[in-house]
Amino acid sequence: MGRVKTIARRSFLVGSVAVAGGVVFGTYLYKRAGENPLLDGLKPGETAITPYVKIDAQGVTLITPRADVGQGAWSMQAHMIAEELDINPRNAKLSPGPADAIYYNGVVGAEALPIAATSDTLLARGGRGAVDVVGKLMGLHITGGSSTVPDMYDRLRMAGAVARETLIKAAMKQTGLPRDQLGTEDGCIVLPDGLKIEYIDLASIAAEIEPVQDVTLRDPSEWRYLTKPQKRTDVVAKSTGTQIYGIDMQMDGMVIATTRTNPAIGGGLNSFDAEVAQQMRGVHAVLPITGGIAVVADNTWRAFQAAQAVDCDWGPSPYIGDSADQFAAVAASFTDDHRDSRFKDEGDVEDALQDASVVEAEYRIPYLAHAPMEPMSVVVKLTDGRLDIWTGTQIPRFVKANMARLTGLDGDDIHVHVLMSGGSFGRRLEDDYIAQAVEIAMQLPDTPIKMIWQREEDFTHDFPRPLAIARGRGAVADAGIAAFDLSIAAPSVAESSLARLNQPAFGPDVAIVAGAWDQPFHIPNYRVTGYRTPAMVPVSSWRSVGASGNGFMHESFMDEMCHAAGVDPLQERLRLCWHDASRKVLEAVGEMSEWGSDLGPNRGRGLAFTLAFGVPVAEVVEVTNTPDGIRIDKVFVAADVGRVLDPVNFEAQLQGGVIFGLGHAMNCELTYRDGVAEQDNYHAYEGMRLHQTPQIMVRGLENGDKIRGIGEPAVPPAAPALANAIFAATGQRIRELPLSKSIGFV
Amino acid sequence: MRTLRGAITGGIIALACAGSARAQDVQGRAAALAAWDDIHAVVSHPRCTNCHVGPSGLPLWEGLGYGGALGKEVVHGMNVRADDSRIGAESMPCRTCHISAASANSVPHAPPKIADAWRLPPIEMAWKGKTSAEICVQLLDPDRNGAFTPEELSDHVGTSAFVAWGFDPGAGRVAAPGSIPEMQEALAIWVVGGTPCVGDP
Amino acid sequence: MKLTVNGVIHDVDVEKDMPMLWVLRDILGITGPKYGCGIAQCGACTVHMDGIAVRACQLAAGDVAGEITTIEGLGTPAVRHAVQEAWIDLQVAQCGYCQSGQIMQAASFLELNPTPTDDQIDAAMSGNLCRCGTYPRIREAVKTAALKLKAV
Repeated sequence: MGRVKTIARRSFLVGSVAVAGGVVFGTYLYKRAGENPLLDGLKPGETAITPYVKIDAQGVTLITPRADVGQGAWSMQAHMIAEELDINPRNAKLSPGPADAIYYNGVVGAEALPIAATSDTLLARGGRGAVDVVGKLMGLHITGGSSTVPDMYDRLRMAGAVARETLIKAAMKQTGLPRDQLGTEDGCIVLPDGLKIEYIDLASIAAEIEPVQDVTLRDPSEWRYLTKPQKRTDVVAKSTGTQIYGIDMQMDGMVIATTRTNPAIGGGLNSFDAEVAQQMRGVHAVLPITGGIAVVADNTWRAFQAAQAVDCDWGPSPYIGDSADQFAAVAASFTDDHRDSRFKDEGDVEDALQDASVVEAEYRIPYLAHAPMEPMSVVVKLTDGRLDIWTGTQIPRFVKANMARLTGLDGDDIHVHVLMSGGSFGRRLEDDYIAQAVEIAMQLPDTPIKMIWQREEDFTHDFPRPLAIARGRGAVADAGIAAFDLSIAAPSVAESSLARLNQPAFGPDVAIVAGAWDQPFHIPNYRVTGYRTPAMVPVSSWRSVGASGNGFMHESFMDEMCHAAGVDPLQERLRLCWHDASRKVLEAVGEMSEWGSDLGPNRGRGLAFTLAFGVPVAEVVEVTNTPDGIRIDKVFVAADVGRVLDPVNFEAQLQGGVIFGLGHAMNCELTYRDGVAEQDNYHAYEGMRLHQTPQIMVRGLENGDKIRGIGEPAVPPAAPALANAIFAATGQRIRELPLSKSIGFV
Repeated sequence: MRTLRGAITGGIIALACAGSARAQDVQGRAAALAAWDDIHAVVSHPRCTNCHVGPSGLPLWEGLGYGGALGKEVVHGMNVRADDSRIGAESMPCRTCHISAASANSVPHAPPKIADAWRLPPIEMAWKGKTSAEICVQLLDPDRNGAFTPEELSDHVGTSAFVAWGFDPGAGRVAAPGSIPEMQEALAIWVVGGTPCVGDP
Repeated sequence: MKLTVNGVIHDVDVEKDMPMLWVLRDILGITGPKYGCGIAQCGACTVHMDGIAVRACQLAAGDVAGEITTIEGLGTPAVRHAVQEAWIDLQVAQCGYCQSGQIMQAASFLELNPTPTDDQIDAAMSGNLCRCGTYPRIREAVKTAALKLKAV
């Protein structure tokens, strides 16, 4: 790793390129050849100019390459550029840009490294630097891991600043005035006499000149948009039904398709009889695709009806097909030969447990579906060796690569047009539905095809969050918790999902223990071990990935240990916590919730804390045990992202994350019988509804050393805070999710 | 029972007044109580009691395979409440999901539709949680049975879209036991036998 | 058959049992109403029939008995309905996919019940799923909209 540290040294160079009637500005990461051997293999073009700002006579277009799946990424990226460019982002056009390696994500891969986000050692920094380089080399144009803000914060502001200064230089050329007499304001250069020149009128001059390379980012005290309450750029469209999602695309000559593949996951299609379906009104064709059939029709409903009318003879699922057997396989993997990691091993746990009265507990979490509100949908068109794909996706470049393999086309002939996603929660890190549509297009070229899944297809063909079992063993001393040993067994998300992206997955899978091994506590004897269950049903990333379930495991056991030790759960965490920003969120949530005050009969509070994606989040849930079941009254959340760029969206993401975490903890599980997911629509997988939603009070702290993302970190502590609150209110300790298997909710 | 068919068309009232001999009375009463049991099996079935609920205004989802693992009453999802209007007009009308149409109910888990406005019966017509005797008395009370004479109940059973749906709910739902003709026959026997209730002196 | 949608009469040739959701989206090109579940579990397809909120996935074309209004007919980006104004003021939407349905549900609800209690808001809006978890803001937006409507 010695060489890696040099990689951290980076310099921004700036480019501009003339486009038809305009100019494109950008920044790109530059490495001198030979500075690092890792970079010698870069192909020409891989450091091509990164376009983030495009100006032509029509207006300003801001390129926002991270996908918007509801977390507000497009709007936030636009605000980061606009802050330096000095325009109102709501007056600009936004475009996600093409799928391109230059939009690599230099941060997301850090989640795959066994480096705690709180660690600032040279090795840790080097490791993260390596992620940046690997991300660049692999062209990881990917959205995920709450990485958009940390990854783009400098890059996009720099892009905005470069564009601004270059426009000023163009104005200097046009007016003959010196730099210090020119200012900028809302898309204009302002002259000393107050006259204004619009950016768009300087586009052609700007295209001719060398871009300004030496720019200084504005001091936060000068910001107009960042850290202030923002108006999302998409809020009007999304409040008037005019936002276009993949499912809404319309094109001349477009046909509608839907697919039905073997409901037994991974099973094949032996044969099918489409005679009835083919006679149905509006049906153009019934086509075979991998593992099933596709119906092409003139209308979605007709396609749905016809798909149901196809008589299919399915083969069996190759995977362990029943939930009980799946859990048995997980339970059987707590063995040395399945041991995957032991990143945390402090003190001597075995010794500490030797003569102690050992507290033991076992926790279980189920498979969970993503089930975004917009079912998987995509529009494809294959014409004359060119493939166009319109869809909401987090992985445009992998889509290109995978579809190139599928079609035999060159990647350059595949164009991915990223659209607004109607939710994802990780589902759009997969491209299975796109491949299905492309299979149809290969049989039906020259026709735009919109493929839409029925909701039932969506539920039964998800790549779920894996199930897991954790076993805790612990011991207490006079002071509090003395030993804490958590073993977690689960199938590997990395192994499963990276294989589908044609990428290697080497080493341990951090996700199996994420949110558990990396928590900022000093317990004298503290160990977290991961065990890898051999692959079963293919699994994938689900909002907050490994931490989504490990938060429940770690924080439920922490609560049990606090009770065993007879210590207050908040005070004990504060006693054990060595990380300043984490301590402060714990203190904040204690203050917000008036922790320790009497709630009265049948009521209880639960606390949980998880540091995930570098963001410490503490949550306190308040419940009442009513005759109709548990009612969740209030949730208090404190989180530290280093700097809150938009308090409005910060609150929305924390509240949404809490609701996502609570809702699934309450009543969601994906169970299997004969390889078929048993929950096929929302009636059996409800999550939280409005009437169950508690008041959620949010506080943002800014003590962290780096800026972080907030899309996921609120999820992990929600389930354990709720379970711990139920214990406080009822004395019932629930160690299995969903909680509704053990207790009723209002 | 089949022999009574003609009598029903001939007029239940006439029949009800016809029996006079004591032996016939005893026999008729026993048959009527047995018929009541058949009626009760229907009116106490979740297909009926899910909506024949009391002042809570909360319809139920029992007998559908939802929830219930903890042995609790399964309340209709989505926090619906019929409120004073009994059609949810104060919040979300039943008709938002339950369409008024005679079309078939074929999609599992979709809200049932009938050729009438979906609604809860008035509070006084609640059957949920009541004993056989309580419901029996209730059905004889025009103030608590929709203002029907016992004889008119048979017509109601024959014409109500709700009742028809209860016997043919579609989409894999468990139907109320029997059929409309069987229910009408049971009602006729019950009426002929003097509409006895379980535990009557 | 003839259908009135957003004040315009359309003559469409569709099966009587085709749900209005697909008539609107695929035949008439009106995509504000969204497909989410097909079984009235999510409410993303909510439209109005004579002002009452209806799940368009459940309403067969042959069963339409009144004028249909979609979110496009409620208001436009330039001329917004008070409920849409409230949704924008409160910045409710995240992914936004369910919000057409949420807004149509709220608009019909406030038409029937202009001065709702908190409990009634919870009852009126719990048939509409939001996977992003925008519920706290939906609650606030419904209250804000009620005030805006009263002020009109």
